[in-house]
Amino acid sequence: MLQHIARRLIQLIPLLFGVTLVSFVVIQLSPGDFLAEVRLNPVVDSATVEQMRRNFGLDQPMHVQYFKWLWNLLRLDFGYSFAYHVPVMWLIGSRLLNSLILNIAALILAWLVAIPIGIHAATRQYSWSDNSLSMTAYLGISTPTFFSALLLLLLAFKTGALPIGGMTSLDYDFFPWYGKILDIGRHLVIPAAVLGFGAAAGLMRQMRGNLLEVLRQDYVRTARSKGLGERPVIYRHAVRNAINPLITIFGFELGGLLGGAVVIEIVTGWPGVGRLIFDAIVQKDLYVVMGSLVIGSVTLVLGNLVADILLAVADPRIRYD
Amino acid sequence: MRRILIGAVAAILLVAVVPLAAQQKFTLPGIPNPNVATYPPEIGKYGGTYVVSAISDPRTFNAIVSQDTASSAVTDVMFDSLVDQDYITGEITPALAESWTVSPDGRTWVFTLRQGVQWSDKTPLTMADVLFSLKAIFTEGVDNSIRSSLTFDDKPVQYRAIDARRIQFRTEKPIGLFLRFIPFPIMPAHKLSDVLAKGGAEFSKTWGINVNPREMVGSGAFLLAQYVPGQRIVMLRNTNYYAVDKKGQRLPYLTRYIILTVPNVEQARLKFLAKETDAYAARPREFAELRAQQQAGNFTIYDGPEGFGSEFVVFNQNPAGISGPKLAWFQDVRFRRALNYAIDRATVSQQLHAGRSTPAWGPVSVGLKLYYNPNLPQYPYNLDRAQQLLAEAGYRKGADGTLRDAQGNIVEFVLSTNAGNPDREAIGNILRQDWTKLGIRVTFAPESFPSLVGKLTGTYKWDVIIIGLTGGVEPGTGRNVWLTTGDLHMWRPNQTSPATDWEREVDNLFEQIAREPNQEKRKALYFRWQQIIAEQVPFAYFAYPKTQPAVRNTIGNIKLGLAGVTGTLETRYYKGVLRP
Repeated sequence: MLQHIARRLIQLIPLLFGVTLVSFVVIQLSPGDFLAEVRLNPVVDSATVEQMRRNFGLDQPMHVQYFKWLWNLLRLDFGYSFAYHVPVMWLIGSRLLNSLILNIAALILAWLVAIPIGIHAATRQYSWSDNSLSMTAYLGISTPTFFSALLLLLLAFKTGALPIGGMTSLDYDFFPWYGKILDIGRHLVIPAAVLGFGAAAGLMRQMRGNLLEVLRQDYVRTARSKGLGERPVIYRHAVRNAINPLITIFGFELGGLLGGAVVIEIVTGWPGVGRLIFDAIVQKDLYVVMGSLVIGSVTLVLGNLVADILLAVADPRIRYD
Repeated sequence: MRRILIGAVAAILLVAVVPLAAQQKFTLPGIPNPNVATYPPEIGKYGGTYVVSAISDPRTFNAIVSQDTASSAVTDVMFDSLVDQDYITGEITPALAESWTVSPDGRTWVFTLRQGVQWSDKTPLTMADVLFSLKAIFTEGVDNSIRSSLTFDDKPVQYRAIDARRIQFRTEKPIGLFLRFIPFPIMPAHKLSDVLAKGGAEFSKTWGINVNPREMVGSGAFLLAQYVPGQRIVMLRNTNYYAVDKKGQRLPYLTRYIILTVPNVEQARLKFLAKETDAYAARPREFAELRAQQQAGNFTIYDGPEGFGSEFVVFNQNPAGISGPKLAWFQDVRFRRALNYAIDRATVSQQLHAGRSTPAWGPVSVGLKLYYNPNLPQYPYNLDRAQQLLAEAGYRKGADGTLRDAQGNIVEFVLSTNAGNPDREAIGNILRQDWTKLGIRVTFAPESFPSLVGKLTGTYKWDVIIIGLTGGVEPGTGRNVWLTTGDLHMWRPNQTSPATDWEREVDNLFEQIAREPNQEKRKALYFRWQQIIAEQVPFAYFAYPKTQPAVRNTIGNIKLGLAGVTGTLETRYYKGVLRP
């Protein structure tokens, strides 16, 4: 097992190299650069813009820029943001916690809702509750997240019950610790709900499908004929097997925890990493984009690794070497 | 008899002396000549918070490096310059400099620093800070655009300190608009000279958004207290500020100034209506709806004047970018005029601005009353007239409905603008529809902003673009756009010598404008410039929309000024009941 993990970690290196190289080339090849906004300022002349280009190192050939960046990366220096003049790591780090909070809340919400409902739907297949839950799931999957977020924001505005976007209130710093948690919780309701229920819809269908398949297996029939009650049959035997594929999905979602839900963050104004990276891409703030790609790739691979390990732990049939 | 005489003389003296006494000079401890704010209508009371929203996050708190509006919203408040601009009249007013003189030949300017001004850490603000700031602006590696404003005829402005309180600036040729170019933020030498010594790149990184606010000192009305990335900026009152109100009380009145970061204009509006913020710059089409909600929302929305920015469509006349028949069409003024007649400004005004905009015929906004030329040639929407002009210029509409030029080439081009801007996309569709009726094959293809600017200023490979420019009180500062040598002279940038007579005339006009200190004479020059642009149509302008600022009724000293500004930060005050 340990050998397998080590091998997977080593495979991370060529992956990172490939991802960053391709992205770097694509960003540079696309038209325009970071200085687009400055160029359109009627008061700034071209000599100043040229000097800015030199300052940012954008006048050097592409491969020189790439290898300079790679060399710095090996010393864990992710470079500076063109827009903000701060280290890329500080910039991303300032918002990472916010994204983490949102993603974890959405994850918990999604799984807490999806698993029990999925089980409920599978055990009462084709009943009224199963059909209506399926209907809701289809609606949830097909509604675009920005739309549901906007609807909820409007609702919040009309009722005045929830804050309209953002993560903390004006006077957040003056609250006691429990007040702070409550404040973030209130702001978390809309974005986490939208993200969570959107994911829950898909997960629920998965759970239902897997459980239905498992319930058809011979050993379940054997367990029932043994005289076991319905509850232990389902929870002790069936669900444990049905949940295997979902563990893999869980691992993927772990990999995405440090990422940003760009659309939700933009619509609800949640100060996460997604919006930051999106803006950096649009503005072509080179090193922020590259930094976020490195983080994304690493967490993706690690998440996959955790998923595989969890699977090996849960299912004794799976061994890696 | 003598007593009556003495009484009369005493009375006359009293009448003469009492008004003099009323004009007493205010002083602040250590500051013999504070800046007196005479324009605000009311004397305010101290305390309270003023909350506004902003669409983007600041990128830096270093005032010299700051180039975007979100950063300037903080640094302009925290760092004062030698001079400021009156928001009602647009005139240059004293700030850190209490007075200035100009030599008769117009080349030498001397500014006298206000005495006794201190930084927020009680260190005196001296000539050393002014010189340090200028040095930083011109240091290689310091990322700033102020350098451009202080460079005239490719030479940086010469400066030297005459004595501890006076600094002299000298230019090669007289610059009448000098006061418009001179505002630069003054930063503390005692805090930053060490960093500047390490190089320009280091300086650019100092006092960025990762700074500890406690390390910063400022001279402005409010100081940065807290920055929460992506959420809000909290600024607190500078108790050392050098301005007073009409009663001699030290400004500002407010205690806290908070800028909330919101992701888009919709959220800004929602937060304003939910009473989370105190001000909102409404869009023209929201005016009627918001006016109906004034009572319920406890705010007032003002029917503001037009802003100074402009929006227009530009035709590429640059042989370095396009060639062949297309170049010939766009270089043909009759073609441009014909297409100008086919722009349905009434529909643009109605659809985008709900009627709250004025049709635009030239580069100066109708809101800039000082220099707006009301007698420009107009091109009222008339497709027949457009078709007629095209026919006169040799473009014929064939039996199949397509327009062909005199050589038989089908007239077709790509119309572009920046994607994601719904107003410009709407204009693009309106233009495409009308120009198609003329028989032209127009493809409307919005693209990303960096890509668009890359074409405008880099590759020059574009046909027709809808875009806009910001504007100011003095259009002469937009040298990069109107001079033929400018790189923002969009239709044909970076010319070595003027390609047409009218462009040569505009070059001359702008040189004269830059030298002319007399406003009336400048006005005549601006009038002629607008006339030329309206005749030659390198840009075809659409409309100048009105501003409609909305402010909560709990904020006092609201008076509408130029471009929809409702007051200055240091004179606003909170009328409501303060919480203990």
